[in-house]
Amino acid sequence: MIRLEKVSYSYPDGTPALENLNLVIKKGEFIGVIGKNGSGKSTLALQLSGLMKPQAGRVMIRGMDTRDPSKLPEIRKFVGIVFQNPETQFVGRTVEEDLAFGPENLCFSPMEIRKCVDMALAETGLEKYRHRSPKTLSGGQGQCSALAGVLAMRPECLIFDEVTSMLDPESGVSVLEIIKKLHRKGKTIVYITHNLEELHDADRIIVMEKGKVMLEGEPKSIFSDISLKTLGFDLPSLIELAETLKTYGVIIPWEKTASPQSFAEEICQLFLKT
Amino acid sequence: MPIILENVSFSYSKKTPLETSALREINLRIEKGEFVGILGEKGAGKSTLTKLFNGIFKPETGIVRVDGLDPSSREAKRKIGMVFQQAADQLFCKTVYEEIAFGPLNFGYSKKETEQRVYEAIEAVSLDQTELSRDPFSLSGGEMQRVALASALALRPDYLVLDEPITGLDPIGKKDILRTLNRIKEKGTAVITVTHNLKGFFPLLEKIVLLREGRIAFQGSRESYLKKGFEPLPPIASMMKELGARGLPVNLTVFTVEDALEEIMRLKSILGIDNNENK
Repeated sequence: MIRLEKVSYSYPDGTPALENLNLVIKKGEFIGVIGKNGSGKSTLALQLSGLMKPQAGRVMIRGMDTRDPSKLPEIRKFVGIVFQNPETQFVGRTVEEDLAFGPENLCFSPMEIRKCVDMALAETGLEKYRHRSPKTLSGGQGQCSALAGVLAMRPECLIFDEVTSMLDPESGVSVLEIIKKLHRKGKTIVYITHNLEELHDADRIIVMEKGKVMLEGEPKSIFSDISLKTLGFDLPSLIELAETLKTYGVIIPWEKTASPQSFAEEICQLFLKT
Repeated sequence: MPIILENVSFSYSKKTPLETSALREINLRIEKGEFVGILGEKGAGKSTLTKLFNGIFKPETGIVRVDGLDPSSREAKRKIGMVFQQAADQLFCKTVYEEIAFGPLNFGYSKKETEQRVYEAIEAVSLDQTELSRDPFSLSGGEMQRVALASALALRPDYLVLDEPITGLDPIGKKDILRTLNRIKEKGTAVITVTHNLKGFFPLLEKIVLLREGRIAFQGSRESYLKKGFEPLPPIASMMKELGARGLPVNLTVFTVEDALEEIMRLKSILGIDNNENK
């Protein structure tokens, strides 16, 4: 449903951000994107959302070319994007007003706006904060509010650019849980992060390097690919431990590496069976 | 001489309806040359605590002393370098050089002395000399964080206090800052950091201060923190704790992949023997 064909983009100072990038995102996928700073992840996010146009090649969003200005309103309805710092994304005086801004701009009727705002509040668990100023929310709630602002436009595809990197771990987990729930309801998700632990359940992971896709595959195969280490990434510790144990004949199935609890459970199963 | 907090309490918005207690009855001692991690959940009072060290906040009750000095005194401020989470928030000069030189000049050191300190500081954080003429705001997140670190180091502090210094950096930037901090510590400066990133920091921490709802829940060595089963824990240690909770005779002080491998293989061999005996 989103297709990048030989997309290239360089910043005004000449730094190339994307080079001849080809990528297809299917409906309902959860795609994780990782890469060093400057590898082109955020540029990719902007291209996928139609906020930035390619200098060469084309980005097709459900058959619409992002270079065609007449298609922009339709693209805006279809793809939403959430960034790292929630504070830079607020426009309204209250959470509710903030959420209404998007659908209002898309010329939804007042009835529809009401419905969209209520749904977005429910999906992010922000009902009780609806009359608060978004600036008084905590980091995690603020990020939920930014997400709700995008959800209120009822997009089918959501792009997240390091949305948990400034949050404490507990808030990060709860934001990611909301995103996973949206995925289960059928939304297409592109999730950019530095935290590999967050991508255990992704359908597919893309590793970016110098504006290109270096590796691509299921988390299971990406995490066991040694070239990930040469690119400077540390594997999640439990996955690294499972990989090392494998060479000593102790096999921990992939699903069990998701949490310390499931990992320990599996070790007990293996060692205590009589 | 250490940083000492005795019976310190602190509240926000004192004497208003919004008054909130942030810290209660804190007794703490941090020696020179220690690597200290301040852990705890959001809202536990971690950042508030760091702001007491250099006199940004004054305690409501109790005393804070930095090498015997009042932390808001000029002499004490020279001893403590602070680096905050968002490096960009603390940069304000036109060039990296001016940024790092600001502290020493402000404390009245000569231009020559300042220059020497700037070069010493950039070496400590491995910034290249060619970066000195750059606009700090054109730098990447990791580089900005290093400039903020260098600015703090230019005063040759005895205590370096950091609040989430590697948040938002990419894996390479993270490792780089961790290495730098370890080097700084090796040279005798105490490094005190608030962090949620246990995977990165745990191997470096010598002492842990755990805050819970404004009080100290634990203070001591990393080893005793692990043995006593406090949380939060890095993933491997957390898994070891889970094994222990399921009745396996496990060494709770294990927190690295290498040690965990050894420990699991040891468990396998002893449990294997038990199973055979049972049969």
